[in-house]
Amino acid sequence: MKVEVSNLKKYFGQTRAVDDVSFSFASGQVVGFVGPNGAGKTTTMRILATLDEPSAGQATIDGVSVIEDPERARHLVGYVPDSLPTHRDISVHEYLDFFARAYGLKGAKRTQTVESVEEFTNLSGIRDKMLVALSKGMKQRVTLARALLHDPPVLIMDEPAAGLDPRARIELRELLRALSGQGKAILISSHILTELAEICHGAVIIEHGRILMAGSIADLLSDSVPHRTVLIRVLAGQKELHRDLLQMPHIEAARLNGEEVAAEVSGTDEACADLLAALIARGYRVVEFKQQRANLEEIFMNITKGVVQ
Amino acid sequence: MTAEAEIAAAQPKPKFAARFDDWLNPIVVKELRQAVQSRFVITALLILLAIQIVAVAIYLVTAGDVSFSYDAGRTVFMILFGIMLAVSMLFVPLYSGVRLAAERSDTNLDLLFITTIKPRSIIAGKMLAAAVLTVMIFSACLPFLTFTYFLRGVDLPSMVVAMAIGFVAVTLGAQVAIFVACLPVNRAFKFMIGLVAFSQLVSGFVSSLVITGGMLWDGIGSTVSSGHFWQWVGTVALVYVLLVGLLFVLSVALIKPVSANRALPVRLYLTVIWLIGGVAALIGSRVEATHDPVIFWQAAFSVLFAFSIFTAVSERDQPGERVLRTIPESGLKRLLSFFFFSGSANGLIWSALMVAMTYDVCWIWWRLFPSFNSLGELVGATRWLTVMNLYLFCYALTAALVRRYILKRVGTNLTWLIAVVMTTIGSTIPLLIGMLLFMNDLPWWQSKYGRWLVGNPFVWDVEAHRELYLSIGIAWAVMAIAFNLQWFLERIRWFFQADLPAAEKVESS
Repeated sequence: MKVEVSNLKKYFGQTRAVDDVSFSFASGQVVGFVGPNGAGKTTTMRILATLDEPSAGQATIDGVSVIEDPERARHLVGYVPDSLPTHRDISVHEYLDFFARAYGLKGAKRTQTVESVEEFTNLSGIRDKMLVALSKGMKQRVTLARALLHDPPVLIMDEPAAGLDPRARIELRELLRALSGQGKAILISSHILTELAEICHGAVIIEHGRILMAGSIADLLSDSVPHRTVLIRVLAGQKELHRDLLQMPHIEAARLNGEEVAAEVSGTDEACADLLAALIARGYRVVEFKQQRANLEEIFMNITKGVVQ
Repeated sequence: MTAEAEIAAAQPKPKFAARFDDWLNPIVVKELRQAVQSRFVITALLILLAIQIVAVAIYLVTAGDVSFSYDAGRTVFMILFGIMLAVSMLFVPLYSGVRLAAERSDTNLDLLFITTIKPRSIIAGKMLAAAVLTVMIFSACLPFLTFTYFLRGVDLPSMVVAMAIGFVAVTLGAQVAIFVACLPVNRAFKFMIGLVAFSQLVSGFVSSLVITGGMLWDGIGSTVSSGHFWQWVGTVALVYVLLVGLLFVLSVALIKPVSANRALPVRLYLTVIWLIGGVAALIGSRVEATHDPVIFWQAAFSVLFAFSIFTAVSERDQPGERVLRTIPESGLKRLLSFFFFSGSANGLIWSALMVAMTYDVCWIWWRLFPSFNSLGELVGATRWLTVMNLYLFCYALTAALVRRYILKRVGTNLTWLIAVVMTTIGSTIPLLIGMLLFMNDLPWWQSKYGRWLVGNPFVWDVEAHRELYLSIGIAWAVMAIAFNLQWFLERIRWFFQADLPAAEKVESS
């Protein structure tokens, strides 16, 4: 199962909401779709969910075009929009039962599916509650449950963590891990990048309708941050260490940060090992020597300009 | 028997109730579940019943000794029926329309379109739910209505017919509301269209009440056995079914994805009902020796084709890959499919052909039966509406030209708007100029102002200038076609030379 987006374009009048976007991901992968507001994330996701038609380009799910054959594509994709259900006069169970019917599930299979999805998303205890009476986190679970009813191999999730409290976010993260473990291909957009980095295998960074960067998290980190930051703590002589570091090879910058010294090292792991050896050789009693890994947030800030269309 | 088949055969068959439950349209289930749990619906029902009780009580208290009155039954029936009809005609269409419009809005759009449910099931479910809701309201009112039987003056056939009229009026109103809710326009525009629909709903309510009142006072019981009554019932039933069907296919087309072959079911349905309606009208005309049924048929379809011209010009220039896949390979089928498939040129040619054929049928008919009643009306109406469509065709083609060469930024889907603006300008500006030039010139008002209405598609009635209207209309049409000829030919060539996608070819071979 592979999701492929190639040269996708979507224009709203003169505005290029999505401009020649191409990326792909496969079963078992969780891909973060990252970009500032108005970058074109939702538009791309809506096209993948068959809700919008692109101006040009192609998007396929397991070879089925979401543009030419949306009815077939809908069997393969579960969509979690950024809006929560607001339907009145209907309980959680009735709501899910309706969608199960709409997906063509019949008889005992429908009952079993709805119940198992309610259990998986931890909704069994509130199944008879009215939808409008639910909290944001609960509604988000209902939306996820709805998207899972027909057991789609692909999940498209638009800002599922928005507005959720920490507990609900952690629960959502666990659910996503479980779904990824089941082999589902998941495309997820979120502004909470630290959390995305924890669960995503890859990321697509988009701004102004264009892809700025795409690939595995490890590749993104190495591509976007050419140097690494090393935090060094010594028992004594921080000021001397700071001065010495500036004269050492591979050190691009160093700054005193309380009891720590942060050094920007250019080069590979070997350069870091050489640095540690040199420090010990100079008599510094090193208590801590750790590489500070660049995170998704840092990459995002480095490569985006915050341009809103 | 395979092992799987044996296992399947050994499985207990689902009970009838479970199978019936599976068979139900999901939208109907959801709508009715929501309706019976809705405070709004329950409150509306309770208020309706309370008003009916109060109305009966007031009548019985103020009418004196009703045991001597032979009108008491039908008077009370009309009061109760009027209340029920007013509430139903307001509530059911509003409830159905607003709900669907809300579900089509951005926040809830996924409710309808993210699932694998077919657009036709969505609309059918909405329509059916509205019908069930109507039956629910009528059932709640039925005890009060049947009570009037004991007050004398109203018979059971009259009650049944009155309820049937009410049902037809309410469900037709609901279908119109569903259609309006499906229109892909913004809320303000939808609200304006809704207001127009509401005014029609009010006139529908008044008409239903007048017809029912007239029938109750004349008495239905005596006419039930007459052929005339059943002829009337048949005509109403046919028109109702055709109208509901039309609103259904239009609504389904509106909620289908843009990439789908949306025009196909609409044009097919219109062609079929044009044929059925035409045959029924001609038979009716022959039997009754009057042209009235043909006039009704011709007028109704001329209006529909006028709308289809403006819709067609706003369709995609070329159908997408999805439509392309379904073009038949064989020559004759491909030729026929050209007229019915989505595409601007296809739609315009189909509309023009239908207008021409409608005119031809009427022309042949009045030539064959010049002695029938209403000959003058048939000739007048046919010519007037055909010239109207000729002008609208010219406006549509000119709008397409304007959009392609001048207003290049405007999307194809808004060509109808350009055509409407041009029609408005063409109908009013020349007349306003004439009025300014000849402000106080009495002879101008008496005989010559009609010339300044030449751009107006709806003024064929000004008899002195008919030749002028016709000749200008024809000349304009020739020019508009000539300027669009290359575009037409490209579309036609593209359709007939379009290669089917490779996968499709493999399958068909």
